[in-house]
Order: sequence, then structure tokens, then C-alpha cells
Amino acid sequence: MGNKKYKGIEKKQARWGFIFVLPAMLFFSLFNFYPILNAFYTSFFDKRALSRRAPKFIGLGNYERLFRLSTAGNPLSFYNSLKATFIFTLGTFIPLLVMSLLLAVLVSYLKNGRVKKFLQISYYAPAVLSSVVAATIWMIIFDPRGLGNQWVNTLFNTPGVDHRWLVDPTMERLSTMVIYFWKYIGYFVILFITGLASIPPTLYEASLIDGANKNQTFWRITLPLLKPTVVLVSVMSMLQCLKTFSTQYMIYTNGAPRAAINVITFNIYVTGIQEQYLSRASAMSVVLFVLMMLLTLLQFRATKSENVDY
Amino acid sequence: MLIERRQILKNTLVWAVLGIMLLFTLVPILFMVVSSMMTSRQILRMPFSWIPEGIHWPNFTKAIKGTDNNYMYLRNILNSLIVSSTVAVTTVGLASLTGYGLAKFNFRGRNTVFMMIMGTMMIPFETIMIPLYMVVMLLRIQNTYLGLILPFLVSAFGIFQMRQYLTTFPTEFLDAARVDGMGEFGIYAKIVLPNCKPVIATLSILAFRSQWDNLLWPLLVSQNEKMKTIPQYISMFADEKYTDEGAMMAAALIASLPMFILFMSLTKYFLGGAAVYESRKG
Repeated sequence: MGNKKYKGIEKKQARWGFIFVLPAMLFFSLFNFYPILNAFYTSFFDKRALSRRAPKFIGLGNYERLFRLSTAGNPLSFYNSLKATFIFTLGTFIPLLVMSLLLAVLVSYLKNGRVKKFLQISYYAPAVLSSVVAATIWMIIFDPRGLGNQWVNTLFNTPGVDHRWLVDPTMERLSTMVIYFWKYIGYFVILFITGLASIPPTLYEASLIDGANKNQTFWRITLPLLKPTVVLVSVMSMLQCLKTFSTQYMIYTNGAPRAAINVITFNIYVTGIQEQYLSRASAMSVVLFVLMMLLTLLQFRATKSENVDY
Repeated sequence: MLIERRQILKNTLVWAVLGIMLLFTLVPILFMVVSSMMTSRQILRMPFSWIPEGIHWPNFTKAIKGTDNNYMYLRNILNSLIVSSTVAVTTVGLASLTGYGLAKFNFRGRNTVFMMIMGTMMIPFETIMIPLYMVVMLLRIQNTYLGLILPFLVSAFGIFQMRQYLTTFPTEFLDAARVDGMGEFGIYAKIVLPNCKPVIATLSILAFRSQWDNLLWPLLVSQNEKMKTIPQYISMFADEKYTDEGAMMAAALIASLPMFILFMSLTKYFLGGAAVYESRKG
């Protein structure tokens, strides 16, 4: 009897659990799963927003068009978007990774708690600003008459030279990297500091007793134990960089040429929204999705085998 | 003697690196504050003078009045406030409800549901924005708050945080309330929610901030000037046709103030590890 009643309660409980998760499930189905399936589906048609006729099925036509070799020379082609995205990603995430690790280690060696906190807050401060504001500040710094030229010219003793920060293709890329680096360095410093804090201090003491110096401790103990954080930070920053948009959009709006900074998301925006080639833009979205998926899987594999026990 | 000298050299190097990065991160922010008080001519003067000659108020009036003198910035600030706060509220509400359901109830398919929700973390917004845009066009909710808010009602990350937090919540409390005859929704609202304050604080800050900064989605759904948000307004201001550096910096400073006030008063929520993961979405 009592058992039966208990089962009844369990069933009722189960129903409540289901009711509680239902709204979120509906949300994710409508605004995550449906759209990603729809992106794949749409990429096989030739859908344009304004046309009234039913879109025609063209199979892999959109992909063929994106990867057609003859378009490689076109400065606004998808090939160049891939190139711009990869250059931006590599040029941003490697400095981010190295510098944030270095800063985190240096900060955590400091003895004075106040200085430590002040440095953390200061490094993080740019991350509090929105990407649009970050781009706005640097756009004025990179003005021909702006601080950028003044600093560099003082530093290298080259008075009066304009470094064409937002005009020359290479410099344009470098500028977007600087802006992005500036905005996100604090995030990753904090992440590394959190990772460093989780390493038990007894390990350092033990290595010091064994006569290791700070250098050896870092390479032999800190870095190997920090590996999961390193993997996490590198994949996260890579994923972040792959979907960069605001910085490039702002610089373009300010009048910079588009070709060098026409990253994938920017290309999707221009193709899909401004030119209304919805299918072509969907195909680009699918390529971006696959790229990021591969990176995420790589992260899973890397972190799974790296579970560290202290 | 030699060792001592090496130590000094090392210390100098460490402080040099820390100091240079400190200048690198702080000087541009200082530049924004200082130049919002200057005329465009002073901002682009060579060499730049870091001490403003008083506050150039027309920057701020122009930032607020806009290029068409219609005070559109105020409207856009209001839009950003409405969208960001609504998303913060719905995120907290839905994430706690779902997290509670996943942490404290046993039902068939629970793990599948959890895995599916976690799986959405692998779908970057940038890859689904075109289909979402088509949905918005179909529902004719472009240029509405609904259109701006709908795709961001809740985040998988929020649900994850809530679930983790609630798994350790003592089940005895819940059972005691059940024995007292409290309904399941009552238990959620009166016992579970009030006990999640730290997660609620973190999540609402993250959700608010992600929409406060969002440029891409509003660009897609808000073409009408009246429905634009702060990032869009600033990007319009940056347009080469209107460039007025002083007013641009004033607009940027106004947009940054709420976040800076939040940051300074709630530093620990920003510098907690959680704040960093949020950057994966939005």
C-alpha cells in the first residue's frame, strides 16, 4: 500500500520536473535547433528575400559558388573572408594567450594583495566597455592626426609619418587585432588567475624544499598543471576570434576599406542582410558552424585526456 | 652580489611588463574620458594635451540630441535598458526554473534534456542569425521589442549554472514544504528562488551586459531609428559622414557609465570565473 502511494508521488514529481523544463525546451527547439537545421536546409536553395517565387533547389550550388577557385582573386570573395578570419584569429589569439598567461603568472607572484587586486581590475577594465565603444576609442587613436601615430613616431623617432592604421590592408588587420586584444586581455588574465589559484600551494612548497627555483617550478609544475586552463583559454579565444564582427563593422562604418577585414560574420551580414542572398549567407553560416564545431570537438578531446588530479 | 643584481634586474623587468600593460589597458579609457570634454580640434591636435581646458558641453548635448536634433539617443538608451533588463529577468526566471527541474526531479529523459540544452552551447549565434532573421520577418516582429528579445530569453550557460548550484541544495527542505502542503510552484518561488541569490546576481549581470553590448542582432531586426539600441546609435555616430570626434566620445562615455558603475560596485561578480564563460554566447 505505502509503496504504491510512494510510487504515485514519484510519478507526480516526475510530471512536475517535466513541466519545469518544458518552457526552456520549447525555447531551444524554436530558437536554436530549428534555426540550425534551417540554415542547412536553406543553404541548398537559392532563396532571396524579396523574390515571391518559391526558391529553387540547387543542391550544393551555393557551396560550389563559395569555394569556386576563380573567385579567389576577388577581394570580397568567401576565400578572402576565410583568409581574413584566419589571419585575424591567429594574429589575435596567440598574443592573447601568451600575454594573458604571462600577466596572470606575474600578478599571482606578487605579494601585496592590494596591488594584485588593482592590477586585476585595471587589466579587466577594457572588458567592461562594449566592443562598439572599444572600436570607437581606437578609431580616434588611429586617426592620421591621432595618438597612434604620435606614440609610434615618438617611439621609433620617425616624426611626421602617417602609418595609415585604417587605410593600408595590413595595418587595418593589425588595428583590428590591437582593438580586440585590448578588449579581451583582461578576460583571459582573470581566467588564468582562477586556474592558477586552483593549484595547491603545497606543491610549490614541496618543489622549493627540493631546491627548485621559480623558473623550474613554472615550467615543471605550474605549466603542466595549468594545461587544462591553457587548452580552455586557447580554444575559447579562438572560437571568439572566429566570430568577430563588431570591431570590423565599426571600422568599416568609419570609412575603412572592406576587403582586408571582410571576416566571415561580416560577409554573412553583408550577403544575407544587405544584399538579401539568404541562401548564400546560410551556406557561409554552415561553413562557420562546421569550423567552430571541429574546434570544439578538439577541445573536448584535449580536455578529456587531461583530467589532472593533484 | 651578482645574484642580488640579477634579482633587481628581474624585478625591474617584471614591473616593466606589468606597468606597460597597465598603461596599455588604462590609457585608452582615460583618453575616452578626457577627449569627451574636448573639441574635435583639440582631440586631434599634435601633440595631444592630456589636460582638457574645461568641459566642452556641446559634445554631450550633440551626443544626446543626435545629428537630426531629435534626441534619438535618449530613446535608444531606453530601448537598450528595456531589452537588457527583460533579457536579464527572463534568463534568471527560465534558467532557475529549468535548473531546478533538472537538479531536483527525476523524470524519464532528464539526461537527454540536459545534454540537448548543453549542446546548444555549440551553436554560435552567428551561425543561426540568418534563419532567425527569416523567422522574425515571417512573424512580422522586426522593429519590435519582442523581435529584439526573443532569441535571448534564456541561455544554456545560465541553466547549467543554476543546475550546478541547486544540486547541492538540501532536498529535505523541499520535502518538508511538501509535507506542509505547499504546491510545487510555491516551493520553487518561495524556497528555491530566494536561496539562489548569488547565482541570480551573476546571471542577471551577464545577461544584461550581453544585450547592452549586442550590435549584430539589433542591426538585423531594428531598421527603424526609434527601435535602435545604444551600440547601433554609436555606430551611426561613427559613420564618416557625421564624424564629430568629441560628440562621438561623449556618446561612448555615456554608454559606458552604467556598466562601469556596475563593475565598480560589484567587482567580485565580474572577476569571478563565471564572467568569462559568458563570452562564448552573444
